[in-house]
Amino acid sequence: MTFPADSAAGAGLAVCHGCYRATPVEAGQCPRCGSALHLRTPQSLQRTLALLFTATLLYIPANALPIMTTDQLGSSLDSTILGGVILLVQYGSYPVATVIFVASVMVPIGKLVALYWLCFTVHRGHPTSMRQRTVLYRVTELIGRWSMVDVFVVTILVGLIQLGGLLVIRPGVASLAFAGVVIVTMLAAETFDPRLIWDRASEEARSDDG
Amino acid sequence: MGPAFGQLGCLHCDALVHVGALPGGLRACCPRCGHVLSSRPPDAVQRALAWATAALVLLVLALSFPFLELRRDGIENVMSLPSAAFTLFEDGYGGLALLVLAFVIGAPAALLAMLLLVLLPLRSRSAPPWLVPSARLLFSLNNWSMVEVFIIGVIVSLVKIASMASVVLGISFWSYVGFAISFTAAVASLDRADVWRRIEACQA
Repeated sequence: MTFPADSAAGAGLAVCHGCYRATPVEAGQCPRCGSALHLRTPQSLQRTLALLFTATLLYIPANALPIMTTDQLGSSLDSTILGGVILLVQYGSYPVATVIFVASVMVPIGKLVALYWLCFTVHRGHPTSMRQRTVLYRVTELIGRWSMVDVFVVTILVGLIQLGGLLVIRPGVASLAFAGVVIVTMLAAETFDPRLIWDRASEEARSDDG
Repeated sequence: MGPAFGQLGCLHCDALVHVGALPGGLRACCPRCGHVLSSRPPDAVQRALAWATAALVLLVLALSFPFLELRRDGIENVMSLPSAAFTLFEDGYGGLALLVLAFVIGAPAALLAMLLLVLLPLRSRSAPPWLVPSARLLFSLNNWSMVEVFIIGVIVSLVKIASMASVVLGISFWSYVGFAISFTAAVASLDRADVWRRIEACQA
C-alpha cells in the first residue's frame, strides 16, 4: 500500500500511539516510550467490524431482557431500559427520562451507526468530507463512556434498596449485556484508525477539505 | 513557555506538524483535521500535582464513610461504596460488582497512582525506572475511568428513589463529588505531548 506523500507514513515515519512522536517505522519500537510502531493500526477495519458485530448482537438481549427487577411486598416487577424511560415520563421526571434516553438509547445506537458508516466509507475509499468524518470519529470516541450511566443507576439502586421483604431491587441479565455493549463499542472506537479516512483522498481534495 | 515540540504527527489524519514553543494556556491544533496536538495549561505539573493530592485524600474519605442512607417505614439501610459492591457479590452478581468497582474505583485509583508516580519525578527532574511505564499506563487508562459518569448515575438514582423512600446523603457522597472534581481537574491539566517532552528532558 502506498501512502500520500504529505503524510507521516508517506515519509516513512510512524506516529507513536503512546506519545505522538514521529519515528522511522524501521525502528520497530518508539525510542521514547517503547510502544510498538505501526504506520496504521494493524487490521484496523477487520477488528473494528468484528467488535461492532459483537456489540450489535449484545444489544439485543440488553434491550429485550429486564435490566432490573423490583420485589415489593410479594409482587415482582421487571423493567427494561426503554420501560424505565417510559415509567419516568409517566411520573413526570422529564429531565431524568431525557438523560437515560440519550445515554442508553441514542448514544449506543448513534455510536454503532457512526462506526459502521466510517468503516463502510473507508472500505469504499470515499475521497470526500474527510474532516467531517474525522470530527464524527472524535465525537464517537468522546461520548462512549457516558452510556454507562444506566448500569451505574442499577448498581446503586441494588446496593441501596435492600429492605428485607418490604422492598428489594435485583439486577437483571440486561445490565451485564448492556455494560458489554458499552465496553465493546469503546474498544471498537479505539481500534478504528481515523488516518484511514485520509489515505485514499487525492492531494488537492485533502487540502481543500482541510 | 516550554521549548519547542518539534515535529509531531497527528494521530487522526497523519499530517506532520511542526509545533513551536507553546505559551501556557494556548492549544496547538492540527491544521488539517483540527485534532488537538497539545493544550498546555500554565504550571501544568504543579497544578496537576495539587489536584491529584486533593483527589487522593478525598478518595480515601469516600471509601471510609457511608455513601447514601435509605429510610422507609422505620427501616434503615446504610450503603457505603465497598459495602454496595460486597452486597452484589454475595447475591451472586459478581460480574456486575467487578465492572462497577473497576470503572468507578479501580481505574481512577490506578490513574491517580500513575499520576503521582509521573508527576513527582517530573517535579524534581529525575528519571526513576518506573517513569516511562507509568506514563504509558496513565494515558492508556484515561478513557476507562468513569468517575463523572458515576456522579450522573447517582443523581439519576436519587430522583428515582425519591418517590419510594427518603434518602440521606452521607459524608462519602460529598467526598466522592469532591474527588470527581479534583480528579477530573488533575487529568485535564495534563497534556500528553507536554508530559512526554518533559520525560525526555528528565532522561537526558
